[in-house]
Amino acid sequence: MANIQRLLSSTNGRVLVAFVIAGLLHLIGTLAIPGYSSPFAIRAMLVIASLLAVASIGQTLVVILGGIDLSIPFIIGFANVVAAQLYGNEWNFAVVCVFVLVLAMLIGAFNGYIARRLDIHPLIVTLGTGMIVQGSVLLWTKGFPSGSAPAEVSAFVSIGGSAGPFPFPWVVPSLVVLSALIILLLARTPYGRRLYALGSNPGAAPLALIDPVKMWMLTFSLSALFAAVTGILLLGFTGSAYGDVGQPYLFQTIAAVVVGGAALVGGRGSYLGTLAGVLVLTEINTLLIGLGFQPAAVQASLGVIIVLLVSIYGRERHVSATI
Amino acid sequence: MSSRLGGLFRNTGFAIILLIVLLAVNLVLNAARFHPAAWGALIGLAAPLIGAAVASAPVILAGRGGIDISVGPLMGFVNAMVIQVLFLKLGMSSPFLLVPAALLIGGAVGAVNGFLATVVRIQPIVATLGTYLVLTGVTLTILPAPIGPAPGWLKAMAGTWSALPLIALFAAWWIVRRLPYYDQLMAIGSDDRAAYTAGIDVTKVRFIAYVMTGVFAAVAGLMLTALIGSADPNIGQAYTLIAIAAVALGGVSLAGGRGGLAGAAIGAIDIFLLQSVLTSFNVSTYVLQIAYGAILVAAVILTAVQERSARPEEI
Repeated sequence: MANIQRLLSSTNGRVLVAFVIAGLLHLIGTLAIPGYSSPFAIRAMLVIASLLAVASIGQTLVVILGGIDLSIPFIIGFANVVAAQLYGNEWNFAVVCVFVLVLAMLIGAFNGYIARRLDIHPLIVTLGTGMIVQGSVLLWTKGFPSGSAPAEVSAFVSIGGSAGPFPFPWVVPSLVVLSALIILLLARTPYGRRLYALGSNPGAAPLALIDPVKMWMLTFSLSALFAAVTGILLLGFTGSAYGDVGQPYLFQTIAAVVVGGAALVGGRGSYLGTLAGVLVLTEINTLLIGLGFQPAAVQASLGVIIVLLVSIYGRERHVSATI
Repeated sequence: MSSRLGGLFRNTGFAIILLIVLLAVNLVLNAARFHPAAWGALIGLAAPLIGAAVASAPVILAGRGGIDISVGPLMGFVNAMVIQVLFLKLGMSSPFLLVPAALLIGGAVGAVNGFLATVVRIQPIVATLGTYLVLTGVTLTILPAPIGPAPGWLKAMAGTWSALPLIALFAAWWIVRRLPYYDQLMAIGSDDRAAYTAGIDVTKVRFIAYVMTGVFAAVAGLMLTALIGSADPNIGQAYTLIAIAAVALGGVSLAGGRGGLAGAAIGAIDIFLLQSVLTSFNVSTYVLQIAYGAILVAAVILTAVQERSARPEEI
């Protein structure tokens, strides 16, 4: 019992438990639903999980820093609609991507600057900028976005696509490489060390010559960057632009990060954990829909399961243990 | 009394200046809508947002990431329960049955949130995200499509008697402010470790804050029901984020321990008045959304700058 408790209190232990739970859920699905482990079903789950995993990169970094980013769904919608619109206006798609990604990073940097420099809770800042961004996009397109994605982007994320000889689209192996890079970034670079240092002790980090404002600007702009990438990928996935396409990602990215063992107070968490959280969420969703639950019931069960999972291994310390 | 007003001004900062400006602009633009004869309907229109903001405040005041994002869905759940289950199915129509039942539902949901956030110690945003999803799902299950009508007395709460539920809310908070509990809540919000070492039962005080938020959200849900005069499963969720925005606008610190329910209400009235100004210009809902966001960001920036200039030694 003490061993289990020690395991659950370590970050690696939490990640391990999250992966085990994802595996168990998959086992339950395979036993309960015929075709749950069929190649097509697994392929679909991998693609959907990959999209959520990209969107959750930024939330992971921001949460380790001790913040939260509510602008992710709005940036996703912004990138989705603006990329489609500009591509529809006959812009070169590479130029469109650079334009959208740079703009997104500027929005993110603004979020980070305001939140840290003026010490305003990032929840409010990112919510406010998110509303401005979404309103501006809707105003620009008059609520009816048009345009579509180039065929290459669609093939990149299509469930039926293939990466060379492998039976899954390129987004899946690309995500594996990207994940490895993010994990390296967190574990082996000065940026990663500064991120954890600033997250676990915002007061002491500046004394170690870490510039908090610069770190917040950089991290929030990375968050916006990956949200924008998700938006462009979603454009390829759904085929047409839709301003609210990012809305499900608001709470899902937070849930993935927390299920993966990160603490919202900062300084703790890992991208490997977020990946485990992403798998858990995707498995739960697929499982419940496969069991014939109505969307409303899926949502309610998801709520119960998130709370149950986090109460197993995501508990905070009692105030008496923090003195 | 003047020092109390001064304190309110310091706490709410630019929200109160914004309130005066917006009120003046509204009086010029919408004289008919803001005529004293129309106040009943006007207050009824603003009441659900004010209620949602006031309800969101106690858990935020309690600090350490305290937040309840299930306030909006809880309003929707109360709306669905009161009309669909209690009124139409069980035939309860008396206010003396429906109001206590609604408050009980709110208190029970608040207690669940409080249990998860303070006893199980799940991070509040995650715990209340769980209840957010559950309440949204359950509301859609018991009420798949909008249904009506509401009892007559309840509809009057959005017209002639619209000030009554708001007065009840603030009377309740006025009593809480006179209890030792209020000082404990603010102490925990500012520094829970210091409060704990001073012998305050941190868990209990925070738990009660969640129950209070639940009960207040139920009142907001009743005001929402009065306003729409029916039950609608999709109307509640939208209130969560806008209510938190109103709370921040009203000078309540999201870190806890600073601000009050009056500030939250002023923030909500600001947003309502802004909405009223912009709709009188016939702008699209898109512009409305940009304006919400811009005002929110501008107001928190101005408040932060004002606080910095007030305490230069702390920078």
